[in-house]
Amino acid sequence: MDLESWVTTFLSYAIPLYLLAFAIYVARMFREPRRVPDLVLVVDALSYDLAAFLVILSILLRTPITIPCAIALVLWIYALDIYVAKYLESKELG
Amino acid sequence: MATMLSWILVVLGQVLVAIGIACDLIAAILMHRLRSFYLRIHALTVGSIGGAVVPLIGAALIAAGSDFLGTYRWYVAGGAVVTAAITFIMAGAGTHAIARAVLRTRAVEEEPSSGA
Amino acid sequence: MDAATLCLAMIGFASLLSVFATIMAVLDRDLLRAALFSALQSTLYAFLFYVLMAPDIVLVYVAVAVGIYPLLIVLLIKKVGRFEEVGR
Repeated sequence: MDLESWVTTFLSYAIPLYLLAFAIYVARMFREPRRVPDLVLVVDALSYDLAAFLVILSILLRTPITIPCAIALVLWIYALDIYVAKYLESKELG
Repeated sequence: MATMLSWILVVLGQVLVAIGIACDLIAAILMHRLRSFYLRIHALTVGSIGGAVVPLIGAALIAAGSDFLGTYRWYVAGGAVVTAAITFIMAGAGTHAIARAVLRTRAVEEEPSSGA
Repeated sequence: MDAATLCLAMIGFASLLSVFATIMAVLDRDLLRAALFSALQSTLYAFLFYVLMAPDIVLVYVAVAVGIYPLLIVLLIKKVGRFEEVGR
Protein backbone atom coordinates (compact mmCIF):
# COMPACT_ATOMS: atom_id res chain seq x y z
CA MET A 1 0.00 0.00 0.00
CA ASP A 2 1.44 3.38 -0.91
CA LEU A 3 1.49 6.37 1.37
CA GLU A 4 -1.38 8.27 -0.25
CA SER A 5 -3.99 5.51 -0.02
CA TRP A 6 -2.81 4.67 3.51
CA VAL A 7 -3.38 8.26 4.69
CA THR A 8 -6.70 8.53 2.82
CA THR A 9 -8.01 5.26 4.28
CA PHE A 10 -7.07 6.23 7.81
CA LEU A 11 -8.62 9.68 7.62
CA SER A 12 -11.78 8.26 6.01
CA TYR A 13 -12.22 5.99 9.01
CA ALA A 14 -11.62 8.94 11.34
CA ILE A 15 -14.53 10.95 9.94
CA PRO A 16 -17.50 8.83 11.22
CA LEU A 17 -16.03 8.81 14.71
CA TYR A 18 -15.74 12.59 14.71
CA LEU A 19 -19.32 12.92 13.46
CA LEU A 20 -20.46 10.54 16.21
CA ALA A 21 -18.74 12.72 18.81
CA PHE A 22 -20.44 15.83 17.37
CA ALA A 23 -23.82 14.09 17.54
CA ILE A 24 -23.25 13.18 21.19
CA TYR A 25 -22.25 16.79 21.97
CA VAL A 26 -25.34 18.19 20.27
CA ALA A 27 -27.53 15.65 22.07
CA ARG A 28 -26.11 16.99 25.34
CA MET A 29 -27.43 20.44 24.48
CA PHE A 30 -31.02 19.16 24.41
CA ARG A 31 -30.83 17.32 27.73
CA GLU A 32 -31.62 18.65 31.18
CA PRO A 33 -29.99 20.37 33.06
CA ARG A 34 -29.90 22.98 30.32
CA ARG A 35 -28.60 26.05 32.09
CA VAL A 36 -26.46 28.61 30.31
CA PRO A 37 -23.03 27.57 31.71
CA ASP A 38 -23.61 23.96 30.66
CA LEU A 39 -24.52 25.04 27.14
CA VAL A 40 -21.43 27.23 26.88
CA LEU A 41 -19.24 24.28 27.83
CA VAL A 42 -20.82 22.12 25.13
CA VAL A 43 -20.55 24.80 22.42
CA ASP A 44 -16.89 25.31 23.35
CA ALA A 45 -16.00 21.65 23.17
CA LEU A 46 -17.92 21.21 19.91
CA SER A 47 -16.14 24.14 18.27
CA TYR A 48 -12.62 23.19 19.31
CA ASP A 49 -13.19 19.67 18.03
CA LEU A 50 -14.67 21.09 14.84
CA ALA A 51 -11.49 23.13 14.30
CA ALA A 52 -9.39 19.95 14.55
CA PHE A 53 -11.83 18.22 12.21
CA LEU A 54 -11.53 20.99 9.61
CA VAL A 55 -7.74 20.59 9.48
CA ILE A 56 -8.06 16.81 9.06
CA LEU A 57 -10.67 17.36 6.35
CA SER A 58 -8.40 19.75 4.48
CA ILE A 59 -5.75 17.02 4.28
CA LEU A 60 -8.31 14.45 3.17
CA LEU A 61 -9.92 16.64 0.49
CA ARG A 62 -6.52 18.04 -0.67
CA THR A 63 -7.57 21.65 -0.15
CA PRO A 64 -4.75 23.26 1.84
CA ILE A 65 -6.08 26.76 1.22
CA THR A 66 -8.91 26.24 3.77
CA ILE A 67 -6.67 26.16 6.86
CA PRO A 68 -7.37 29.74 8.12
CA CYS A 69 -11.01 28.79 8.75
CA ALA A 70 -9.93 26.68 11.74
CA ILE A 71 -7.91 29.55 13.22
CA ALA A 72 -10.81 32.00 12.83
CA LEU A 73 -13.26 29.54 14.40
CA VAL A 74 -11.08 29.03 17.49
CA LEU A 75 -10.53 32.76 17.99
CA TRP A 76 -14.20 33.72 17.71
CA ILE A 77 -15.39 30.94 19.98
CA TYR A 78 -13.09 32.33 22.66
CA ALA A 79 -14.79 35.70 22.15
CA LEU A 80 -18.19 34.04 22.71
CA ASP A 81 -16.91 32.63 26.02
CA ILE A 82 -15.86 36.07 27.15
CA TYR A 83 -19.22 37.67 26.26
CA VAL A 84 -21.19 35.12 28.24
CA ALA A 85 -18.79 35.27 31.19
CA LYS A 86 -19.00 39.06 31.29
CA TYR A 87 -22.79 38.94 31.12
CA LEU A 88 -23.00 36.42 33.94
CA GLU A 89 -20.69 38.50 36.11
CA SER A 90 -22.51 41.77 35.53
CA LYS A 91 -25.94 40.31 36.30
CA GLU A 92 -26.65 38.13 39.29
CA LEU A 93 -28.40 35.52 37.23
CA GLY A 94 -27.79 31.88 36.39
CA MET B 1 15.41 7.76 2.83
CA ALA B 2 12.89 10.50 2.35
CA THR B 3 10.18 7.88 1.96
CA MET B 4 11.18 6.26 5.25
CA LEU B 5 11.01 9.65 6.99
CA SER B 6 7.59 10.29 5.45
CA TRP B 7 6.28 6.99 6.74
CA ILE B 8 7.61 7.67 10.22
CA LEU B 9 5.98 11.13 10.28
CA VAL B 10 2.68 9.81 8.96
CA VAL B 11 2.46 6.90 11.40
CA LEU B 12 3.40 9.15 14.32
CA GLY B 13 0.72 11.62 13.25
CA GLN B 14 -1.85 8.88 12.89
CA VAL B 15 -1.16 7.69 16.44
CA LEU B 16 -1.77 11.23 17.69
CA VAL B 17 -4.97 11.56 15.65
CA ALA B 18 -6.21 8.21 17.02
CA ILE B 19 -5.54 9.41 20.57
CA GLY B 20 -7.42 12.60 19.76
CA ILE B 21 -10.47 10.74 18.46
CA ALA B 22 -10.52 8.56 21.57
CA CYS B 23 -10.32 11.65 23.81
CA ASP B 24 -13.06 13.28 21.77
CA LEU B 25 -15.50 10.40 22.21
CA ILE B 26 -14.62 10.08 25.91
CA ALA B 27 -15.25 13.80 26.43
CA ALA B 28 -18.59 13.63 24.60
CA ILE B 29 -19.73 10.76 26.80
CA LEU B 30 -18.41 12.46 29.96
CA MET B 31 -20.53 15.53 29.15
CA HIS B 32 -23.57 13.27 29.64
CA ARG B 33 -22.30 11.23 32.54
CA LEU B 34 -20.72 13.77 34.91
CA ARG B 35 -23.27 15.17 37.32
CA SER B 36 -22.39 18.81 37.98
CA PHE B 37 -21.06 21.85 36.13
CA TYR B 38 -17.69 21.92 37.88
CA LEU B 39 -17.11 18.27 37.00
CA ARG B 40 -18.08 18.86 33.37
CA ILE B 41 -15.24 21.39 33.12
CA HIS B 42 -12.91 18.37 33.25
CA ALA B 43 -14.78 16.90 30.28
CA LEU B 44 -14.25 20.16 28.37
CA THR B 45 -10.51 19.98 29.06
CA VAL B 46 -10.38 16.39 27.79
CA GLY B 47 -12.28 17.49 24.70
CA SER B 48 -10.25 20.62 23.96
CA ILE B 49 -6.69 19.65 24.86
CA GLY B 50 -6.88 15.90 24.23
CA GLY B 51 -9.48 16.11 21.47
CA ALA B 52 -8.25 19.20 19.59
CA VAL B 53 -4.62 20.05 20.34
CA VAL B 54 -3.29 16.49 20.08
CA PRO B 55 -4.97 15.66 16.72
CA LEU B 56 -3.93 19.07 15.36
CA ILE B 57 -0.28 18.23 16.08
CA GLY B 58 -0.92 14.83 14.52
CA ALA B 59 -2.47 16.43 11.45
CA ALA B 60 0.59 18.68 11.15
CA LEU B 61 2.85 15.61 11.20
CA ILE B 62 0.68 13.81 8.63
CA ALA B 63 0.72 16.86 6.36
CA ALA B 64 4.48 17.23 6.70
CA GLY B 65 4.97 13.59 5.74
CA SER B 66 2.50 13.52 2.84
CA ASP B 67 4.57 14.17 -0.29
CA PHE B 68 1.50 13.82 -2.52
CA LEU B 69 0.07 17.11 -1.23
CA GLY B 70 2.82 19.07 -2.95
CA THR B 71 4.53 22.18 -1.64
CA TYR B 72 1.35 23.39 0.07
CA ARG B 73 1.72 20.69 2.71
CA TRP B 74 3.99 23.01 4.68
CA TYR B 75 1.19 25.55 4.70
CA VAL B 76 -1.15 22.94 6.15
CA ALA B 77 1.43 21.86 8.73
CA GLY B 78 2.16 25.41 9.84
CA GLY B 79 -1.52 26.31 10.02
CA ALA B 80 -2.25 23.22 12.10
CA VAL B 81 0.55 24.03 14.54
CA VAL B 82 -0.64 27.63 14.89
CA THR B 83 -4.22 26.45 15.48
CA ALA B 84 -2.96 24.00 18.10
CA ALA B 85 -1.02 26.74 19.91
CA ILE B 86 -4.00 29.10 19.87
CA THR B 87 -6.35 26.35 21.10
CA PHE B 88 -3.91 25.44 23.85
CA ILE B 89 -4.06 28.98 25.25
CA MET B 90 -7.64 29.95 24.42
CA ALA B 91 -9.39 26.81 25.68
CA GLY B 92 -7.94 27.16 29.15
CA ALA B 93 -8.49 30.92 29.29
CA GLY B 94 -12.13 30.69 28.14
CA THR B 95 -12.91 27.89 30.57
CA HIS B 96 -11.41 29.86 33.43
CA ALA B 97 -13.46 32.92 32.51
CA ILE B 98 -16.70 30.93 32.51
CA ALA B 99 -15.86 29.07 35.72
CA ARG B 100 -14.91 32.31 37.49
CA ALA B 101 -18.13 34.02 36.47
CA VAL B 102 -20.22 31.04 37.55
CA LEU B 103 -18.42 30.72 40.86
CA ARG B 104 -18.78 34.43 41.70
CA THR B 105 -22.47 34.60 40.87
CA ARG B 106 -23.37 31.15 42.29
CA ALA B 107 -25.21 30.45 39.06
CA VAL B 108 -25.15 26.69 39.61
CA GLU B 109 -25.13 24.63 42.76
CA GLU B 110 -21.69 23.89 44.12
CA GLU B 111 -21.13 20.19 43.88
CA PRO B 112 -18.63 18.89 44.96
CA SER B 113 -18.54 21.59 47.60
CA SER B 114 -15.43 23.72 48.07
CA GLY B 115 -16.03 23.75 51.83
CA ALA B 116 -16.09 27.55 52.00
CA MET C 1 -16.04 5.62 -0.05
CA ASP C 2 -15.27 8.42 -2.47
CA ALA C 3 -14.99 12.07 -1.54
CA ALA C 4 -18.30 13.17 -3.04
CA THR C 5 -20.35 10.65 -1.05
CA LEU C 6 -18.47 11.62 2.09
CA CYS C 7 -19.14 15.32 1.53
CA LEU C 8 -22.85 14.67 0.91
CA ALA C 9 -23.07 12.61 4.10
CA MET C 10 -21.44 15.40 6.11
CA ILE C 11 -23.71 18.03 4.55
CA GLY C 12 -26.79 16.01 5.49
CA PHE C 13 -25.50 15.45 9.01
CA ALA C 14 -24.71 19.11 9.69
CA SER C 15 -28.01 20.26 8.16
CA LEU C 16 -30.00 17.83 10.31
CA LEU C 17 -28.32 18.94 13.54
CA SER C 18 -28.72 22.62 12.66
CA VAL C 19 -32.49 22.13 12.21
CA PHE C 20 -32.81 20.98 15.83
CA ALA C 21 -30.65 23.88 17.01
CA THR C 22 -32.84 26.35 15.12
CA ILE C 23 -36.05 24.89 16.56
CA MET C 24 -34.65 25.22 20.08
CA ALA C 25 -33.51 28.79 19.42
CA VAL C 26 -37.01 29.75 18.29
CA LEU C 27 -38.91 27.98 21.07
CA ASP C 28 -36.72 28.87 24.05
CA ARG C 29 -38.08 31.50 26.47
CA ASP C 30 -34.62 32.22 27.90
CA LEU C 31 -33.09 34.60 25.39
CA LEU C 32 -29.46 34.04 26.40
CA ARG C 33 -29.95 30.31 25.90
CA ALA C 34 -31.56 31.03 22.54
CA ALA C 35 -28.47 33.05 21.57
CA LEU C 36 -26.28 30.07 22.45
CA PHE C 37 -28.44 27.74 20.34
CA SER C 38 -28.09 30.25 17.54
CA ALA C 39 -24.31 30.11 17.97
CA LEU C 40 -24.48 26.32 17.70
CA GLN C 41 -26.48 26.65 14.49
CA SER C 42 -23.93 29.13 13.13
CA THR C 43 -21.07 26.78 13.93
CA LEU C 44 -22.79 23.97 12.06
CA TYR C 45 -23.49 26.29 9.12
CA ALA C 46 -19.81 27.28 9.05
CA PHE C 47 -18.97 23.60 8.78
CA LEU C 48 -21.54 23.30 5.99
CA PHE C 49 -19.94 26.16 4.04
CA TYR C 50 -16.54 24.56 4.56
CA VAL C 51 -17.67 21.25 3.10
CA LEU C 52 -19.21 23.13 0.18
CA MET C 53 -15.69 24.49 -0.48
CA ALA C 54 -16.33 28.16 0.26
CA PRO C 55 -13.52 29.05 2.69
CA ASP C 56 -13.88 32.80 2.08
CA ILE C 57 -17.52 32.64 3.10
CA VAL C 58 -16.52 30.64 6.19
CA LEU C 59 -14.05 33.31 7.29
CA VAL C 60 -16.70 36.03 7.12
CA TYR C 61 -19.57 33.90 8.39
CA VAL C 62 -17.68 32.74 11.49
CA ALA C 63 -16.70 36.31 12.36
CA VAL C 64 -20.24 37.61 11.92
CA ALA C 65 -22.42 34.77 13.17
CA VAL C 66 -20.26 33.37 15.98
CA GLY C 67 -18.48 36.57 16.96
CA ILE C 68 -20.39 39.79 16.39
CA TYR C 69 -24.01 38.64 16.34
CA PRO C 70 -23.93 37.05 19.85
CA LEU C 71 -22.16 40.18 21.10
CA LEU C 72 -25.01 42.38 19.86
CA ILE C 73 -27.59 39.94 21.20
CA VAL C 74 -25.94 39.81 24.64
CA LEU C 75 -25.76 43.62 24.79
CA LEU C 76 -29.46 43.82 23.89
CA ILE C 77 -30.37 41.20 26.47
CA LYS C 78 -28.53 43.24 29.07
CA LYS C 79 -30.78 46.21 28.18
CA VAL C 80 -34.17 44.55 27.79
CA GLY C 81 -34.05 41.65 30.25
CA ARG C 82 -33.33 38.03 29.80
CA PHE C 83 -36.65 36.21 29.98
CA GLU C 84 -39.33 36.50 27.37
CA GLU C 85 -42.78 37.27 28.80
CA VAL C 86 -45.43 34.62 28.27
CA GLY C 87 -48.84 35.48 26.86
CA ARG C 88 -47.99 38.38 24.62
